[in-house]
Amino acid sequence: MSNTFPALRRFLSSSIAQGLLILLLPFSMATLVVAGADLTRMEHIAATRYGPEAAASVRDWRAMLEASIGSDDDVRLARINNFFNRRIRFDEDTRIWQQSDFWATPLETLSRAAGDCEDFAIAKYASLMLIGIPARQLRLIYVRARIGGADSKLSQAHMVVGYFPTPEAEPLILDNLIGEVRPASRRPDLTPVFSFGSDGLWVGGSRESAADPTARLSRWRDALQRMRAEGLDLAP
Amino acid sequence: MSLIKQLWIAVLCITLLALGGSLVVSTLSARNYLVQELTVKNIDNAGSLALTLSHSAKDPIMIELQIAARFDTGHYRRISLVAPDGGMLAERSHEDATPGAPDWFTRLIPLQAEPGVAQVQDGWKQFGTLTLESNSRYAYESLWKATQRLLMWFSAGGLLIGALGSALIKRIVRPLNDVVAQAQAIGERRFISVTEPGTAEFRGVVRAMNALSRRVRHMLSEESERLEALRQRTQHDELTGLMTRTYFMRRLESALSRENARSGGVLVIARLGNAATLNRMLGRHTVDALIRAIGDCFKQVAMGCHDADVGRLNGTDFAFLTTGHEDAEAVANALRGLLAKVLDTFHDKASIALPMGAGAFASGTQATSLLANVDGALASAEQEGAHTLKLAQPERSNRTHRDISGWRSALEAALNGGNLRLGSFPVLDTQGALLHFESPVRLSIDGDWQPAGYFMPWAARLAMTGLIDAAVARQAVARIRSDGRPLGINLSAESLCDAAFRSDLLALLDTAPAVGAQLWIEVPEYGVVQHPAEFRELCRSLKPHGCRIGIEHAGRPFDRIKDLHDLGLDYLKVDVSIISGIDQDTGNQNVLRSLCTVAHSIGLQVIAEGVTNTAERDALAQLGLDGMTGPGVHLQS
Repeated sequence: MSNTFPALRRFLSSSIAQGLLILLLPFSMATLVVAGADLTRMEHIAATRYGPEAAASVRDWRAMLEASIGSDDDVRLARINNFFNRRIRFDEDTRIWQQSDFWATPLETLSRAAGDCEDFAIAKYASLMLIGIPARQLRLIYVRARIGGADSKLSQAHMVVGYFPTPEAEPLILDNLIGEVRPASRRPDLTPVFSFGSDGLWVGGSRESAADPTARLSRWRDALQRMRAEGLDLAP
Repeated sequence: MSLIKQLWIAVLCITLLALGGSLVVSTLSARNYLVQELTVKNIDNAGSLALTLSHSAKDPIMIELQIAARFDTGHYRRISLVAPDGGMLAERSHEDATPGAPDWFTRLIPLQAEPGVAQVQDGWKQFGTLTLESNSRYAYESLWKATQRLLMWFSAGGLLIGALGSALIKRIVRPLNDVVAQAQAIGERRFISVTEPGTAEFRGVVRAMNALSRRVRHMLSEESERLEALRQRTQHDELTGLMTRTYFMRRLESALSRENARSGGVLVIARLGNAATLNRMLGRHTVDALIRAIGDCFKQVAMGCHDADVGRLNGTDFAFLTTGHEDAEAVANALRGLLAKVLDTFHDKASIALPMGAGAFASGTQATSLLANVDGALASAEQEGAHTLKLAQPERSNRTHRDISGWRSALEAALNGGNLRLGSFPVLDTQGALLHFESPVRLSIDGDWQPAGYFMPWAARLAMTGLIDAAVARQAVARIRSDGRPLGINLSAESLCDAAFRSDLLALLDTAPAVGAQLWIEVPEYGVVQHPAEFRELCRSLKPHGCRIGIEHAGRPFDRIKDLHDLGLDYLKVDVSIISGIDQDTGNQNVLRSLCTVAHSIGLQVIAEGVTNTAERDALAQLGLDGMTGPGVHLQS
């Protein structure tokens, strides 16, 4: 069922999503800041689609997020970073998803308990938005990472999450290569290339309709659509 | 609303709906497609420009130049770079005055593509947010052009569908017109049959109507045959099949009172001499055979004439009556020739004497005097020999003798001088209400108003009956216009074949549409028998004017009635030979009763002619007749 008729599945789950959303909105409002998110529903989907371990992971994630809401920046950044760094095993997309490049939603990553650098980044980005950090303070950043030590010539393409406490400040980097959350100046092994987020996609108050075929053309917009179908709507 | 209009409106609505819907759907889906494309372009271009800017020098001039370079060489409406604190770092915009399509179109179908937003980095720092909007002018242009093209094609398509629809509807409805015509004909009591059309629904209707017509025809032919058989039994002699005395006398009276082109004729009486001796010598059977043979002879000659009656006046007397000829000698000689052959076969057995007396008569002659004359001639023939023919002296009349050219000038003088008058005899129904006034024609000739019987035979010979009838019709129309009472006019049988007269009559009726319904037109029976096709044509052309059409002097074989079912006739006037003495003649009563039943079943009114007294009137009313006219019928004013 999970790989057959993805479009149909998506359509059905989005319409079911609308219905359940109406019913469960009061509950979700009580628990999480972002009104569009419905982690109860995500739990159900996890349970039905991926099994009880995935549902347990989602519950843990939810508990972690709820615990982090009121905390300081340092505490919550560290908590989120550690949650995923410890739980998710780093692996290639070809091995996890049998595809050359696949950007997994947080639920998909949690269900496999494995992901590559984009999956880590997306999961952490989503978590940060769920606890109420506005999109303009967060970025997903393409970086060139030097691996193997300070003098190594080896580098690889990598993605990290950047958190900007103020617009002019340098970002704090959430990464899976180094578990600690450090400011960018203390990460000489990373060279930034390009950054993007989800805020530019909601300009003008438009919401992406599930029927927009061009949304599936870009991996990022596609990932955002699938997140929405699972109950994770990152629109402001 | 007519069926064609309804079909048209349906086709129009469907076409408009289909094409209109297609147009709207096409335009909207084109619009959606264009918006999607523009949005994707915005996002992609913003992303790539942001990437370029992120890796270039960040001094304002460079930024400015990069943005300008992209803007000027691309199709953009606005490119702006905003710093994280909200300040504008660089901007280029381009408000195009002409969007490429009419204002109402851009307002009706807006193309709102989301601008592309991307982030520019300076190392790790956020440098600014780039917003990029593509120019939608070309999109509008292409949308507008596409819409125009679609509209044009759909209009062309609509017109084509309109034309095809017309042709198709006409084809579908064509058999319907025939069906309607048949239904109307049946409504007018013309029980016609048409070929079954191809369309299933119409076929069913037409089949039913054809079945109705067929049944009516069948019933009519059966009934008329039965009627004819009944009439034969009542009116004809058993042995020879010739008319009985009473009936023959009535026919004679009727022929003498006729006022049309067939006034005047010849009466021949033959007597078989020594009947008792013959009986003794030859025996009953042979004598019966002889009498039958003589009767057949007479019948044969009668069939050769147009309008001849043959009767057996008593055991030995045979009478022959024909109208329209005045040459007694020729008729009698024709008879004699045939009889001679018959008598030859019996000659070896006994000598048979068959003397004949013949006399001509004209309109106005009295029956008694004619019979006396011919009897006298017969008596003198008997004196002279076995096979003598004696002609009766023609009555001295005080009319002027003319030859044919004399008659022509007299008739022309009367017509051109307007010396034409119409008589007036009421025709009443059983309640005494007026049906119409019979209006026989009178011309002033020889200083006196002469009845039709005086001049019509000559008019027929001169082929002037059409002119007389046309003049009669004009006078009748004028009279109806002035006093509004219905009139009945007589048409000659010869006028039926006169195409000029027919077109004159139709033109006259066209000029006076209200008059048609008050006009009763009747044709003598022998005319209908002689010219059935012309009579049918006349009926068909007069029907739309509302005129009532009838047959007068009907009394001959009734089996012709079955041919009347599809003419749409209105009435039948029964000859005086059947009506006279109806209160006592049970045989004729049965005939009339059956005739009324048959006629009513196809919607004909039956009117009696020559009604003389109240006894006859009461008897006729009881038999079911619809009207009567005659010397005994007067309008109570």
